[in-house]
Amino acid sequence: MASPAWSASQTGVLAKERAAAVGAAVPWYVWWGVLAVTSASIGGAWDVSWHRSIGRDTFWTPAHMAIYACGVIAAVICGYLIFATTFGRSAEMKSASVSVLGFRAPLGAFIAAWGGIAMLTSAPFDNWWHAAYGLDVKIVSPPHTLLILGIRGVAVGVLFLILAAMNRAAAEGGEAGERSFKALQRLFLYLGGLMVGGQMFFLMEYTWDVSLHSVSAYIAMAIGLPLFLALLSQASRYRWAATAAASVYTIFVIGEILILPLFPAQPKLGPVFFPVTHFVPAKFPILILVPALALDLLWQRTRDWKPWRIALASGIVFIAVLTVVEWPFASFLLSKASENRFFGTIYFDYNSRPDGIDRLRQFFRPSEGFALYFGLVRAAVYASIGTWVGLLFGRWMRSVQR
Amino acid sequence: MRVRFFLVRFVLMLLVVGLAGSRAAWAHVGSKDVFEQVDAGPYRLYVTVRTPTVIPGVAAIEVRSSGAAVDAIRITPLPMTGEASKHPPTPDAMVRSVSDPAFFTGNLWMMAAGSWEVRFEVSGAGGEQVVSVPVPAVPLNTLKMQRRMGLTLGVLGLFLVISMAGIVAAAVREARLQPGAVASAERRRRAAIATAGSLVLMGLMVWGGAKWWNVEAASYSADIYRPLGVEPVLAGNQLDLKVTAYEPADDLRERRWRLNDDFLPDHGHLMHLYAIRQPEMDAVFHLHPVLAGAGDFRIALPAMPAGEYKLYGDVVHANGFPETLVASLTVPEGMAGGALSSDDAVGSPQPLSRGMLGSSYTLPDGYVMVWDKPETVTANTAYSLRFRLLDSEGEPAADMQPYLGMAGHAAFVKADGTVFAHTHPQGSAAMAAVMLANGDGSGATPMDMQMDMPMHAAPISNTVEFPYGFPASGRYRIFVQMKHGETVETGAFDVEVQ
Repeated sequence: MASPAWSASQTGVLAKERAAAVGAAVPWYVWWGVLAVTSASIGGAWDVSWHRSIGRDTFWTPAHMAIYACGVIAAVICGYLIFATTFGRSAEMKSASVSVLGFRAPLGAFIAAWGGIAMLTSAPFDNWWHAAYGLDVKIVSPPHTLLILGIRGVAVGVLFLILAAMNRAAAEGGEAGERSFKALQRLFLYLGGLMVGGQMFFLMEYTWDVSLHSVSAYIAMAIGLPLFLALLSQASRYRWAATAAASVYTIFVIGEILILPLFPAQPKLGPVFFPVTHFVPAKFPILILVPALALDLLWQRTRDWKPWRIALASGIVFIAVLTVVEWPFASFLLSKASENRFFGTIYFDYNSRPDGIDRLRQFFRPSEGFALYFGLVRAAVYASIGTWVGLLFGRWMRSVQR
Repeated sequence: MRVRFFLVRFVLMLLVVGLAGSRAAWAHVGSKDVFEQVDAGPYRLYVTVRTPTVIPGVAAIEVRSSGAAVDAIRITPLPMTGEASKHPPTPDAMVRSVSDPAFFTGNLWMMAAGSWEVRFEVSGAGGEQVVSVPVPAVPLNTLKMQRRMGLTLGVLGLFLVISMAGIVAAAVREARLQPGAVASAERRRRAAIATAGSLVLMGLMVWGGAKWWNVEAASYSADIYRPLGVEPVLAGNQLDLKVTAYEPADDLRERRWRLNDDFLPDHGHLMHLYAIRQPEMDAVFHLHPVLAGAGDFRIALPAMPAGEYKLYGDVVHANGFPETLVASLTVPEGMAGGALSSDDAVGSPQPLSRGMLGSSYTLPDGYVMVWDKPETVTANTAYSLRFRLLDSEGEPAADMQPYLGMAGHAAFVKADGTVFAHTHPQGSAAMAAVMLANGDGSGATPMDMQMDMPMHAAPISNTVEFPYGFPASGRYRIFVQMKHGETVETGAFDVEVQ
C-alpha cells in the first residue's frame, strides 16, 4: 500500500515539525518513549535477577524503580499529548490525531495510555492474587500477563508514535525527510528489538536451556516470535529488520550476563540451595539471530509472493533454522565447555536444588521420535500463521500517519 | 521470579482495605500458629510465630524476652533438614518495641511448603546466643474474591475493553488518513465492524483468561495441606490405624516428605493418640500405638466406654514436620479392653452439656488440679496458661514425676471439634522437631532422636505453664496431664474464649 502524497496545504500544516526535523529529526516525545521502554526492559531483567539472587524485595528496589519509570514517563508524555491535542489550540496537532472516547491524540498516545491503565489494573489484581494463592514464583500468571500486556501496550504505543512520524517523513521525501526517516527507523528497530526481547522474557520459563530439547520451547517461540519479526520488517521497510531486532535482544542479554555478575548479591530468603554471592544473570540468549537472518534473506527474495506463500515458507524456514541451530547449541550449553562467564551456565538461582534438573545439567523431558517431528510441524504451522498476521498488520502499519 | 511494582502497593493502599481475613479452614486441626518458650543461654524467649495461610507468604514473629537483658534479635528462616539447612540466608533484625524494650517483632517470608525453623540470634547482657523454633509451613486455604475488589477490577477491566475498542475504531477510521483529512463513510463503516470484531476478540480473551484463572486456582487448591489419610480398623480391642503416605502429583516439584514410615519418636513414642468421646468430651484417652509396619500403627485398646470417638494422632516426620492425623472410631458396647499401659492416661470429666467446668478439678484419687485462669481469654492472644497439682490436703503435690519426659501435657480441644492442639511446657511445637531444629539438622536420623526420654534431671515442680494462643473464639475443653508417684492425672477445664 503506497503512502498518499501530501497536498500543499497539509505540508504547510506540518511545517513546524519539518523544520524541527532538519535539526533534531525526531519528536521529543519519541525519545522519551524509547527511554521509557528501555527502562522497563532493564528493570524487568534486573528484577528477575533480583528474585533469583536476593529473593526478597521492597518496593523501592532500583529494578522496580526502572520498571515503573516506564509507566511514569508514558503517563507524562501520553497525558501531555492527549490533553494538548484535545484542549490545545494547535491545529497541526489536531490534524495529525485520532479520536478515542471524545479525546484527540496520535494513535500511539492512546495505545500507550491504555498500556499504563492495564499496568495499573494489574496491580491490585496481582496483590489480591498473592493474598489468595501465595506469592507466585513465576512470570506467567494471569495478573502478570495483564501487567506485561500493559508494558507491551506502552511499547506498542511508542512504536506507533515513531511509526506515524516515520511514515509522514517518508511521504514528505527530500533530504530532510530522508534524514528524519532514517533516524526514526533506527529507533523503531531498536524498540522492536526490545519488544522481541520482551517476547523472549515472557517465554523464559519455556526456553530455559534445559528445556531446549523439548518441542514445547520451539512451539512457544513459534507462537511468540515470527509475528513480531514480520511486523517489524514490514512496518520498518528495512531489509534487515528481523536481524536488527534479534541483534538487539542478543546484545541485551549477553550484556546482562557480562554485567550483572559483577555486582554482589546475597539471598535474603530461604530455602537456599545454592550459595549465591552475585547477581544471577539470564540464561544465554536463544540464537534467534540466525533464523531472523534467514527470514530477512527469504523476505528480500519473495517480495512478489502472495502473503500466504511468504508466510508458509517463513514458518518452515524459521522453525527449521531455529531447530538446526539451537538444538546442538543447547547440548553445548549443557556441557562443561560452556561453563564460563560468557555463556553463563555457571550461574544458578539461590533456590535451585542440587538434585534439580538445572543444577544436574540435564535436559528436562526431551522430546523424541514422532512427538518431536509432529511438534516441530505444529510449530511451523504456528510460525506461518504468526508470520501471516505479522505481514498483514505490518503492511497496514506502514501507512499509519497519525 | 516475579515482577512487582510500585503500583501494587500504591493502589493496594487506595483500594484494598480489609482484604485480609481468611476462612477458618485450617489444618493442624485448626491451630496453625506456633507458641513456644525457649531458652537461649541466659535469655528466655516467648516466641509467637503466626504462620501465613498461603505459601509463599509472610510469617509474623513476636518475641517477649525475659531473663538476661536482650539488646537485639536477628531472625533467619531455613528448612530444618536437607541441603538448604546448611545455607542460611542473611538474617533480619527484629524491631524492638519503643514502649516495651523486652518485646520484639519481625516478619519472614516462608517461600516453600515444608518443615522450617526460625533461627534466633540473640545478643545482650549474656553475649551472643542462638536458638531455633520449628515452624511448619503449608498452604491452608485460598481466598475468594471480595465483592468490593471484584467490582473495582471489573470496572477497570470494562474500561480497558471499551477503550481498546475505541482505539481499534480510531485506528481503522483515522490512523491512515493524511493529517487534516476527514474519514469517509466507508472508513466509518469499517471502523464499526472492526469495533464489533475487537469486542468479540476481547470477549474471547476475557473468557480464556477466566478459564485459565480457574485452572490456576484449582492447582493452588490441590496444593492445600491435608493431613495424611488414616483409616481405623477395629477388631476386638485391636485397633489398626492405616496411614496413607502423601504422594504429590508432580514428584519433581514437590519432593516427597510426608511418608507413612518416616516418623521420629516424640517423647519416646512415634504416635501420641488422643481418643475423645463425642459429642460430650466425657472420656479422654492418651494412648501410644506402635508402628508395626509402614503405615500401620497398632494398639490394643484399654477398656473404653462405648460410643463415637474422635481420634487425633500426633506424629512427627523425619524432617521435623508435625502432623495430627484425624479419624473417627466407634467403640462398641462391651468391648473387652486391656489394661492401660504405664505411659497411657485416661480422664472422665463431666459431659459438656452438664455446664462449664471450673478452674479446679478434683481427680479420682482426691488430688486437685487448679488452673490459674486469666479473667478473660481472647482469641489469637499468646498466653502462658498455668496449672498446679495439689494433694488431697490442698498442699502442693510433693511426689511429682515427669510424664513422658515432661512436667505436663495439655490438649486444647474446641467443643465443635475444629481445634485440637497437643502442647507441652515448651510450647506448641513437637519436642522432636524442637530438638531437630536445635541439633545438627543434617546429621539427625530417627535413631539419633531416642535421647528424648528423661528430660528433667531437676525435681519436677507441681506447677506447669503451657504457652498457647486459642485460634478462634468459642468453647474449649483443656485436658492437662501431670504425674505424681505412679499416677498419671488427667484434669479437665472449660473456657469460653472471646
